[in-house]
Amino acid sequence: MPIVIQPYREEHEPAVAEFNRRLQEASADRDLVFSETAIPHWLPRRGEIPLWNEFFVAVEGSFVRGAYALKHEQIFIRENGLHSVACYHHALSEGIIDRKYASVGGLLVRDALARQPLLYVLGMGGYELPLPRMLKALEFSLIPVPFYFRVVHPRKFFLEMNALRNSRWRALLMDIAAATGTGWLAIKAAQTAATLRGRLADFAAEDVTEFSAWADDLWREAKDAVSMASVRDANTLRILYPAENSHLTRIRVSRNDAAIGWAIVGERRKDQTKFGGMRVGSIVDCWSSPANTLPVVRAATQALEKRGVDLIVSNQTHHAWCRAFEDSGFLKGPSTFIFAASKKLTGLLQPLEEDQKSLHVTRADGDGLPRNF
Amino acid sequence: MSVFEQVRSIASDLLGTPANRISADSSPENIEAWDSVQHLNLVLALEEKFNLQLSPEEMDQMKNIGTIAKLIEGKLQATPS
Repeated sequence: MPIVIQPYREEHEPAVAEFNRRLQEASADRDLVFSETAIPHWLPRRGEIPLWNEFFVAVEGSFVRGAYALKHEQIFIRENGLHSVACYHHALSEGIIDRKYASVGGLLVRDALARQPLLYVLGMGGYELPLPRMLKALEFSLIPVPFYFRVVHPRKFFLEMNALRNSRWRALLMDIAAATGTGWLAIKAAQTAATLRGRLADFAAEDVTEFSAWADDLWREAKDAVSMASVRDANTLRILYPAENSHLTRIRVSRNDAAIGWAIVGERRKDQTKFGGMRVGSIVDCWSSPANTLPVVRAATQALEKRGVDLIVSNQTHHAWCRAFEDSGFLKGPSTFIFAASKKLTGLLQPLEEDQKSLHVTRADGDGLPRNF
Repeated sequence: MSVFEQVRSIASDLLGTPANRISADSSPENIEAWDSVQHLNLVLALEEKFNLQLSPEEMDQMKNIGTIAKLIEGKLQATPS
């Protein structure tokens, strides 16, 4: 029976549930599940709004052997204007558990490329994994998205940061750093020294429920400072960060009553494997002109610290944002978060080599919002 | 060199398996290195070598070296020279 990739319809739902059950039975990875409803919970299609999710399934007779999602959106490319693109995400193949279906992974990504040649993928967890290797073979450009972290409570960080406590010796050293206070001293000294580097004019920050005309002004004013960004006008922001989403906080940053930027912050879902019992705050998204990145990062950091998180993390590509994070006491860590642009999208982003530090990519792009919060 | 031998040679290079250990029945189920990434690499290498395009349906038919060689032969015969 041939495998056919088609849009996910209600009639496929029982077969997707069976597909999930097979993946879960054969794997310890709880993330290996695809939506069991054909209509996406996150960003379903609404009228002509150009930001929406679409699901596809690879069907073999009455079985589903793979699935993927496309997040359709508009991006702004400097000197090239607005373009409709899609993010390829949540791809799952029966090949993960049954080698007979080794072809499905490649079929899914080629199908996605045929449907939207201006395709990007974000995240992926490291260059050595199958998806980034397949994308490399398909001539995607792969760019790491730098990872930043700020330790708020050093003792807890040393005792609970399981991602770093990955050998007996390292765990022992981290225990000593926590018990003696030397870790606290080292981290606070490094963070304070970095914070002193950034010169900061007065600013005010307030939580807002919704984005309005001021966010459109900021989008227009700052977009030419980036080589590429997903559209972040007020309409788009209201869809991505709706007022009823209580997991995320919308912060408006101003100076002399005029908006100079905004940030979205939230507390991530608990991740015992990486972060132990720590409360992890995330600066999910942010926007301003390059001159105002520092007050936005400081406002977002202060908001998360007030909430009592133990660690703050963020992913950023743009050089002005990277600098603002570094000047706010964030340390740069190894990143497994990768931005991959299809060959055709890479063509529009030229000169990508030169401009990659002007891309504006954050954790909110791709499928970061439902995956992390 | 026959199409089968050419396909076998490409698979041998990609999968790091000696050509004499690859038969018509060789597949992802019996060659450890033949995973989803190498399957896609094989598709791309065949497209380049034989200057043809494999559709999703054809990619799905590529279950083992024998069916791959037959598929390529069929496509080459159908292509006007």
